[in-house]
Amino acid sequence: MDLHTLTTLHDVFDQLHGIQDWKITLDKLFVSLRGEFVFDNVAIYLVDPQTSSLEVAYARAVGRGKTAEADVAWGETFANEVFAKEKMLMQHPVPVPQETDRLLQAYLLGFPMYIGSRLEGVIVFIRFGGPEYSETHIRLASLQAYWAMALIERKALKEARSDMESVQRQMRLQDDFVSTISHELRTPLGFIKGYSTSLLRQDTSWDEGTQREFLTIIDEEADRLTKLIEDMLESARLESKTMQFKFSPVRLDGVIRDVAQRVTTLHSNLRVVFDIQPLEPISADSLRISQVFENLFSNAVKYAPGANIHIGMQMVDAELRISFADQGPGIAEAYLPFLFERFYRVPGVRTEAGTGLGLYICRQIILAHHGKIWVESVLGRGTTFFIELPAHPPV
Amino acid sequence: MAKRILIVDDEPRYLRLLEANLRTEGYEVTTAQDGVQALAVFSAQPIDLVLLDVMMPRLDGFGVCQRLREFSNVPIVILTARGEEQDRVRGLDLGADDYLVKPFSATELLARVRAVLRRAQPPADTGQARFFSHDNLKIDFARAEVWVNEEAVSLSATEYRLLLQFAHNIGKILTSEDLLTSVWGSEYKNDKEILWVSIARLRQKLEEDAHNPRHIVTRSGLGYLMPPIEA
Repeated sequence: MDLHTLTTLHDVFDQLHGIQDWKITLDKLFVSLRGEFVFDNVAIYLVDPQTSSLEVAYARAVGRGKTAEADVAWGETFANEVFAKEKMLMQHPVPVPQETDRLLQAYLLGFPMYIGSRLEGVIVFIRFGGPEYSETHIRLASLQAYWAMALIERKALKEARSDMESVQRQMRLQDDFVSTISHELRTPLGFIKGYSTSLLRQDTSWDEGTQREFLTIIDEEADRLTKLIEDMLESARLESKTMQFKFSPVRLDGVIRDVAQRVTTLHSNLRVVFDIQPLEPISADSLRISQVFENLFSNAVKYAPGANIHIGMQMVDAELRISFADQGPGIAEAYLPFLFERFYRVPGVRTEAGTGLGLYICRQIILAHHGKIWVESVLGRGTTFFIELPAHPPV
Repeated sequence: MAKRILIVDDEPRYLRLLEANLRTEGYEVTTAQDGVQALAVFSAQPIDLVLLDVMMPRLDGFGVCQRLREFSNVPIVILTARGEEQDRVRGLDLGADDYLVKPFSATELLARVRAVLRRAQPPADTGQARFFSHDNLKIDFARAEVWVNEEAVSLSATEYRLLLQFAHNIGKILTSEDLLTSVWGSEYKNDKEILWVSIARLRQKLEEDAHNPRHIVTRSGLGYLMPPIEA
């Protein structure tokens, strides 16, 4: 090998080194060797794993074909032939006297491409109007074919690695989720176990009041466990998008008044003040939306007991804006960003009934309506939930 | 006099459950809802046993355990919700005497509390000499105090009882089962983890080089012993 060749190769390596995108690297590779090996078009065909047929993965017109890319030969039939025979092939056009359009005179050179020992594709070089490929040209083309294979393999490996990383991330999330779930389930179970075995103790007797107290706790914790399981199933269905939504035109002022009425019958000291502008019916799943309202009410009853609730609704352009404000103790700003996350509960504020899933479910339902839900809160002043729903969500 | 137990848990229903059951056994009960409160309550009155939940706001159970061990040998039982090995080992590592995995039954709770309090009793006077020495290690049986190189070492009640087993049986190999039964009680005889962690802790406190111990030596596959000092 002479010094000139070595220097050329060294410079090519040097240029290609460190480029991340495989197509840009290939472009540079072909351009950098054009001084030694001239061609007009190059195309790489790879096996599509779905159909097992060759599909074009990379194609560049660098010479005469540039102005008529789609019209000229790209060697598809020839590529299939190289693939079938699994060896280097050359094809020269049948000479036509007085043919002036060189684009009809395609000289083809093709190599099979392997990853490991597996045939993965074909690379085809095309020259319009000749000349025929010399021995040196064939060697250079073969070198570029190896190079291209290495680049494609690197790309495949990169993709596989990023797939694997995303699977691992998914698995970690899953692990966290499972350990959270088991902890959440264990809490009510712990009470049921603890209080029932207390009642079963044979070495002591509990007075009637205490017995009732323990049984009430067991009963409530069994309910909480049921609610927890229902909420988990519901949030899993929302998460995997397998929950069916039935959209129909609905007036949400009517829906929220119904919910408010149900809640105030249960909690007679709850005061609800409405500020509702004239509304158009919007397209929504009224059952799911009333579930969101129920959740907001039940949160207000739990975390802002005795506080008034102000509900505002108005249409702004093609959106319905809802505000749901309590004048309770408020939530510290640091906790607000996590409020809609699964199993998040504001530290230090414990109630027996919460599952940590309510607002997460609300958010998933609103998202399914292509809407938005967020919260603002001031300690000592109260908390306001805002919902925006498009009147006509894309279905 | 009735023993006083401090219960620390952020769930009011656990506090109620523990308190109600402990009172039937004649214990006095004091409660705290988080770690910071627990430390305050602990320094305000004499406490014979601490039942400590792990997952708590402000300062968690591990944190409380660590702080308590800086100045007190009070018996500590960790309540762990996860029941995972790493939690139990971590609790024992920080000096807890025992653990209870949620969910637990009322009888299990009371049995553990009884066992831990029994271990914390100063051992009956055996009429032996008041002082014991093994190389640079000294024990004052009467005052239940331990010194290494003339410096006082603070041991938990369980660690002290474990050390006594060795001191009373110089040169004799004690099996894991022997030690677990005599220190913790027969219901613990298969609970090897507790023993491993406790011996490791004891070595940290007593040995100059815990990896090359002189006071408590492992005889692989057999057990542990305190070797006789060669004259």
